Amino acid sequence: MCRPFYTEPTTQMKASEVKVDLEELKKFKIQNAKERLKFIDFWANYVKTHSDKEWSEQQNILIDSQISPG
Amino acid sequence: MEYNKEKREIKLNRELNNLDKFVLNFVDLLDGYVVVSGYVSILLGRSRATEDVDLLIPEMSEKEFYDLWRKMDRCGFECINTSKEKEAFDMLKEHAIRFAKIGQPIPNIEFKFIKIEIDRYSYENKIKVVLNQGDIFISPLELQIAYKLFLSADGTDEELKSDKDIEDARHLYKVFNEKINKEELLIFINKLNVKKRLRFLE
Repeated sequence: MCRPFYTEPTTQMKASEVKVDLEELKKFKIQNAKERLKFIDFWANYVKTHSDKEWSEQQNILIDSQISPG
Repeated sequence: MEYNKEKREIKLNRELNNLDKFVLNFVDLLDGYVVVSGYVSILLGRSRATEDVDLLIPEMSEKEFYDLWRKMDRCGFECINTSKEKEAFDMLKEHAIRFAKIGQPIPNIEFKFIKIEIDRYSYENKIKVVLNQGDIFISPLELQIAYKLFLSADGTDEELKSDKDIEDARHLYKVFNEKINKEELLIFINKLNVKKRLRFLE
């Protein structure tokens, strides 16, 4: 049986206590954008190098999870 | 995926999803149209969904529109904007209107008349995507890529990198890189004044 390693905190932070470093968050945002573009390239290459059936079956999991049959 | 540039045809042996079937059912009712914007990238493999599909049609008379309206109603589609055909036609003269399956607003088709030259170019140079269960006509890829760069928000480089429209453009550019007419792409890049955004494709 899997045991969680996370234990519930005994105190709870207030919103006003949260320290926000905007410069640090900006770096995460830039990194995230770079990673998103890397995935675009990875997936485009996957589409080019696999059969239409293979890539579309995977894409359809995403689309059909959001769009129900008419 | 096979793209025959001379025939302006893409043979796509993909598994159809619910969005594809919805679009095929709708375009089957039309005499002439071209699909533009986000769904073009999605049809050609982009890993995202959309709640609407943008479609351009040649201008039609009021009578032609009413005939189409009745056909749509018989086939289970309704206009989201209004239930009155005259109102819908009057709206269509000014802006896009939306059609969806009755009682199911998502997904929907954003439907508008061809008015500007860039739309007319899309229609006259459309590409036929041949699927197992029918064909869908899409905008030429070069214009689609340039226009997606144009649609992306104004902002810093960092902000633009995760812009959905940049990602759509990049996906098409990467998948069809060897087949795209680079000269034509540059013509539209220049006309749409998005040369600075070209770097997001590389």
